Amino acid sequence: MWVYEKRLQYPVKITKCCPKTAQLIISQYGGPDGELSASMRYLSQRYTMPVKEVGGLLTDIGTEELAHMEIICAMVYQLTKNVTIEQAKEAGFDAYYIDHTTALWPQAASSVPFTSLEFQSKGDAITDLTENLAAEQKARTVYDNLLRMIPDPEIQEPLKFLRAREIVHFQRFGEALEKTKEKLDSRNFYYFNPEFDKQMFQNKL
Amino acid sequence: MTENNLAIANIPIQQWGGLYNQEEALNIGTIFHDLNKPFFAAEAVTGSKNPIAPEAGNQGKSNIQIEREGLMTRITQLGFYLDDLTLYLDTHENDTQGIQLYHEISKEYAELRKQFAQNYYPLSRLCIPYCINDNETAFCWQEGPMPWEGACI
Repeated sequence: MWVYEKRLQYPVKITKCCPKTAQLIISQYGGPDGELSASMRYLSQRYTMPVKEVGGLLTDIGTEELAHMEIICAMVYQLTKNVTIEQAKEAGFDAYYIDHTTALWPQAASSVPFTSLEFQSKGDAITDLTENLAAEQKARTVYDNLLRMIPDPEIQEPLKFLRAREIVHFQRFGEALEKTKEKLDSRNFYYFNPEFDKQMFQNKL
Repeated sequence: MTENNLAIANIPIQQWGGLYNQEEALNIGTIFHDLNKPFFAAEAVTGSKNPIAPEAGNQGKSNIQIEREGLMTRITQLGFYLDDLTLYLDTHENDTQGIQLYHEISKEYAELRKQFAQNYYPLSRLCIPYCINDNETAFCWQEGPMPWEGACI
């Protein structure tokens, strides 16, 4: 169960219309390393996590990623809500406009639609937590690229905040991996899969 | 703390350390000094002191709106403080300093959310009990702007 909170985690107040910028930022909504992908990755992986606290962390970070998706969507919405046909044509926003008008639809900057193929839920705690470490780094790189490309302070501020969160999440997933390792034999972490070979994992406790 | 091992990722466990104040933490994106790792291309953006009501933008605003934005600012700052602290406590569940700080801030946060519901509108359905009055003719959950509109009115 989730409880909706009627506020953004970080406020977004963009005063200009810029469909070009919206088309870049939308990648963090529906792109390969976007917030939707992040949220679904963690919220999918959590059910079978063998260490309860790690399932709890995945729930909390997966929930925060939903809030980040809302921040990104608010940015895209505010950048395009008053777009004119002329502006859309000029910015190359016309193709998106034909299919979605000014509605939000999860796609990458390259216009590839959102797909669950962008993330993994592999059913092995070490594999999935290592995937999550990489995922946070990939998202950080996208924010770096956006920050280089977009100099406007009112757009940079929320992007900078979101980038900082990727680094914090990386640290937490690292700690979650250490918590999982503590419950395994350090001479060979790979002797069995703690998420599937439950009997062997419980014997270790 | 686990030792480093071959053929697997090894990440040091964060130790409790210096913290930003509530205003700084929201602008930076973490409460922890040790986790603030800025990017050079964004260094020019210092982060406005108050992203909800930026600059000296109070001109032409009613007193009610200034008060409401002030309260929303505090709620956003405290809410974020708790968000970051929650993740820390998820992996440091026995950290007494973290737990104590969480308790202090969460009490203040709950009080401010209650005030916001009593004076303006409920931020979540859990706040609806604070809005109920005998003259209610419209469901209060629909009051207030949608958060993506960028305004706090």
